[in-house]
Amino acid sequence: MNNEQKLKYFADYNNGTHTIGRIGVSLIIIMLIGAPFVMGTYLKAMPDMPAFWAGLAQILLIWVPSSMVEFLIYTPMLGAGGTYLAFTTGNLLNMKIPCVANARELSGAKVGTPENEIISTLSIATSALVTTVVIALGVLLLIPLQPVLKNPVLQPAFDNVVPALFGAMAYRYFRKNLNIAILPLVLMSALFIAIPSLISSVGFMIIPSGALSIAIAWYFYKKKNKEVN
Amino acid sequence: MNIIEQLNSAPLYLICGFIILCVIVLSVIFMLRAYRAGLAIGMDKIVLKRTITSSATFTVLPSISILLGVIALSGSLGTPLPWLRLSVIGALHYETSVADVAARAIGLSGLNASEMTLQAFSTIALLMGVGIIWGTICSVLFTKGYLNKIQSSGNKKKNSSFGGFGDMAMSAMFIGLISAYIGSYMATLTSKGNAIPLLVLACSGLVMSIFMYFIDKKNMKWLENFSVAGSMLVAMACAVLFGLFL
Repeated sequence: MNNEQKLKYFADYNNGTHTIGRIGVSLIIIMLIGAPFVMGTYLKAMPDMPAFWAGLAQILLIWVPSSMVEFLIYTPMLGAGGTYLAFTTGNLLNMKIPCVANARELSGAKVGTPENEIISTLSIATSALVTTVVIALGVLLLIPLQPVLKNPVLQPAFDNVVPALFGAMAYRYFRKNLNIAILPLVLMSALFIAIPSLISSVGFMIIPSGALSIAIAWYFYKKKNKEVN
Repeated sequence: MNIIEQLNSAPLYLICGFIILCVIVLSVIFMLRAYRAGLAIGMDKIVLKRTITSSATFTVLPSISILLGVIALSGSLGTPLPWLRLSVIGALHYETSVADVAARAIGLSGLNASEMTLQAFSTIALLMGVGIIWGTICSVLFTKGYLNKIQSSGNKKKNSSFGGFGDMAMSAMFIGLISAYIGSYMATLTSKGNAIPLLVLACSGLVMSIFMYFIDKKNMKWLENFSVAGSMLVAMACAVLFGLFL
């Protein structure tokens, strides 16, 4: 295959990737949105739509910007096939991105080349398959453990999943960004202690707290850029 | 049948399993096409095989940490939904925080097993599904145009400078989110006398600091994959002790 044939073959391959990616991922999106309604029909308890819209309003403000940023940053690195698969199978930061970076380093492929597109797609597809198999095997093993997990003594553990997550995340994020974290942390603590009724509205309080943190981060980003220049 | 038994019933496994199977099929299609295309454009078979092997071995450890996430969420949401969420699109920290926001929106005091109802579950499932789907929707709508634009413009400098603040903004957003939750745990202590959430948070942070010591100082990078899930599980074990003795 000469260079011209190679480029034509690769352009056709890329077009096919976009077609399969768009159709396949769209079907999965439809299934993911439809699944709670199918589960609700079986359980005879459909989703509470007013509560859904109220919750969605809070979630959108946080996750839409973050999803857009992730998409803009990681797509050039992942290529077409890698992007469709990585954004469908998830676990981007903790698995797919390091996995692709590792595969690219081993193969020596450069971002934006056909070789990178192939390596990235192969790497993410393999990673997705391995994860799915490991989790599925784990879930099979979990089934006999259900009576143990349902023991009332263990309930405090499952009632405190969120604090358990945020303790670990707080240590990771705060120690690297103490200058950004201090003000929102002090302000939020004082506000919640002064007005305890806000506890039930913590979802809404994420918005001003997140906005304040981003504003502080922007200030330090500009300051750092000025110093560099 | 109690609520957790209903959330772990066979039809829910079938619904979630079917979607996961579709994702597996899509991954296999992409993998086979990429492998054939790699050979067709003259890439070395050994390089392609090494990519598959290295990616598989690289993924095993983080996959186990994701499985620990399924275990962590299975007590309040049953096993099938966390299995689906953490196999498709999700990530542990996203899923847990969105599930908590969803639980509060439906009137629960948070994501906890003791207050879970079937309607709360289906609402949480819908919010988890819709709430974090935006990156996937972006990939369907914009990947082709965005990649074409990048390849044609070749303006890498502009892209990397945006990426510079993009990373920082994402960290800042998480800091804001965590700060709000820590504030609420402090108020839970001062107004309700319930210290458990704050203590669990502290335990988790402490365990994470131990993980980070070994990762950074002892160069045990492989621990990175277990640090979040490991810290969570130790802190959850501490929550059981706090529940017994406080």
